Amino acid sequence: MDKFNQKMSFIYLNKNKKTKYIFNSPGKYTVFFNNISGDYKFIINSKDVDLDIFGIIIGKNENIFKINTDQIHDAPKSNSNLLIKGVLYDRSKFLFKGLIKIEKSGQKTRAYQKNQNLMMSDQAFVDTKPYLEILADDVFCTHGSTTGKIDKDSIYYLNSRSIDNKKAENLIVSGFVNEILEILKQRTSKQEYLSIKNEIEISL
Amino acid sequence: MANKKNLNFKQKYGFSMPKSYLFRAKKGLNKQIVESISKMKNEPSWMLDFRLKSLEIFYKKTMPTWGADLSKINFDDIYYYIKPVESQAKSWADLPSEIKDTYDRLGIPKAEKDYLSGVNAQYDSEVVYESVNKHLEKLGVIFCDMDTALKKYSKIVKEYFGTLIPAHDNKFAALNSAVWSGGSFVYVPKGIKVKMPLQAYFRINSDKFGQFERTLIIAEEGSDVHYVEGCTAPVYSSSSLHAAVVEIFVKKKAKVRYTTVQNWSSNVYNLVTKRAKAEEDAVMEWVDCNIGSCVTMKYPSIYLNGKRARGEVLSMAYAAKGQHQDAGAKIFHFAQDTTSRIISKSISRDGGRTSYRGLVQVRPGAKKSTVFVSCDALILDEKSRSDTYPTMLVKESDTHIQHEATVEKLGEDKLFYMMSRGLSRYESESMLVNGFIEPITKEIPLEYSVEMNRLIRLEMTGSVG
Repeated sequence: MDKFNQKMSFIYLNKNKKTKYIFNSPGKYTVFFNNISGDYKFIINSKDVDLDIFGIIIGKNENIFKINTDQIHDAPKSNSNLLIKGVLYDRSKFLFKGLIKIEKSGQKTRAYQKNQNLMMSDQAFVDTKPYLEILADDVFCTHGSTTGKIDKDSIYYLNSRSIDNKKAENLIVSGFVNEILEILKQRTSKQEYLSIKNEIEISL
Repeated sequence: MANKKNLNFKQKYGFSMPKSYLFRAKKGLNKQIVESISKMKNEPSWMLDFRLKSLEIFYKKTMPTWGADLSKINFDDIYYYIKPVESQAKSWADLPSEIKDTYDRLGIPKAEKDYLSGVNAQYDSEVVYESVNKHLEKLGVIFCDMDTALKKYSKIVKEYFGTLIPAHDNKFAALNSAVWSGGSFVYVPKGIKVKMPLQAYFRINSDKFGQFERTLIIAEEGSDVHYVEGCTAPVYSSSSLHAAVVEIFVKKKAKVRYTTVQNWSSNVYNLVTKRAKAEEDAVMEWVDCNIGSCVTMKYPSIYLNGKRARGEVLSMAYAAKGQHQDAGAKIFHFAQDTTSRIISKSISRDGGRTSYRGLVQVRPGAKKSTVFVSCDALILDEKSRSDTYPTMLVKESDTHIQHEATVEKLGEDKLFYMMSRGLSRYESESMLVNGFIEPITKEIPLEYSVEMNRLIRLEMTGSVG
């Protein structure tokens, strides 16, 4: 299948209640979720699967989000790419455990996993466990996680442009989650994109 | 390589010398064994109590349910105490010739005699050879084996012993607390900077013999010390157990670096508990190289208790056939402005498995702390496996935490380039691997660094040429 003619599918985890997804045929898949908890398995059983998994978590008050994701590569030459962004206000908690598992049969896999968190309050809590289990040798896998609060210099810069603290904070947070929304814009119907965007804006 | 010398690793290092003991406790573990160890050593009664309490804890504790497979360890099939020939030799010449022989084969004595300041060589469970440099004595630095320390400096030992790693910490710490023998004791007085690294060579040279050293390092305010332990053990047919405990106290503004070059034989279970406490402005660094053993579970940890304390763990693991290196680091940020850095490099080959397992905790109130974790893994063939299990618990918002990991194989492009320059594939591979671990090897003393590069070459190609 040539690249421009690939099958594109969009899976919205919040609506599609399944917890186990098996990718049996080549194509480009995008998975998205926001503010949910659960155990999700993504099993890649075919070559030339190009899977993107995006998540946005916005924690407020006493919210607790607990997400486990498994990216299991059981076939060669596929890619998977996970990016989860968390914004944690108040006393919210976010517990993330992600696993990339490349079976012996998963040669020439490229797999990525990234978790970035913005801590908006002193009482917020993040526990992140990005795990890798690699049984094949000809692969490239990376994972990364960052956790921190909003850079004071950025706030200062915006202040100097006569934007107050509250507004500056909001701008930075929306920039942070927009990285994912911008990609979604191209991956799903306009209607669905707008409803997701709306939902995230409300939760912010 | 044009003239390939067949220096098989096992032929070269896989030997064991005839054994002569003064005393060997019966196999297995019970109250009598622990009592007799304590009696043999003429220990004060508080130590006997400590041992017996620890034994109770050992019985109660369960085996860890995570990490490497430990099901093959049979605690009843191990000698818990062996006293080697005549105690403490004063100089190299006084050592029995077979012990000297073993060291000669490893090419150690020359290096030791010529370059090193303090030599504290451990043969079986007790230090038989120890030459504390006069220079150290003049500075007031105490560097001796733990048994001597308990006799001569029992006040200091009692104050610190088992306070950082209590017996109930884990099953193997409890085991060590009950049957420990040997190990080093280092005390550096206030403001003293020890320029030469303090070294101890450890060897296990008796079948089915578990080695349980206990090391305690105390660096007083503003002092600086570098402790090096290197291990080269002969190959045996039945399992050996090595469960050491290392406690380090780094006081205000002090700096301690602890370097391990560990190359146990391929049947040793290496289950070590290492912990350091860093006070205000202190610096603690673990440099940890794991090459041998069948199973290693070792997670050097640092408690950053004082403001601006810094902790660093540089870890390297190499796993070949039948080996599982489960190594990593643990860092706890308790105070403001603390920084930590973990760098892990692992290589798995020929069915070996390496795992990085790490824990970083930022406690509430540890404001402005910075964490950087980086783990890189190389997988050299399709039989091998590599895992990364980092955990980060963040309970403070004013922090900066970064973690990254990569797993890959040797780049074909790089190999191709080097081969086009006339290097063989083996040479190119070992050169790339040595380049990969260079950030770690450049941090260890030169002799070890040379030894390490040679070991990797040897393991990679089966030959040194």
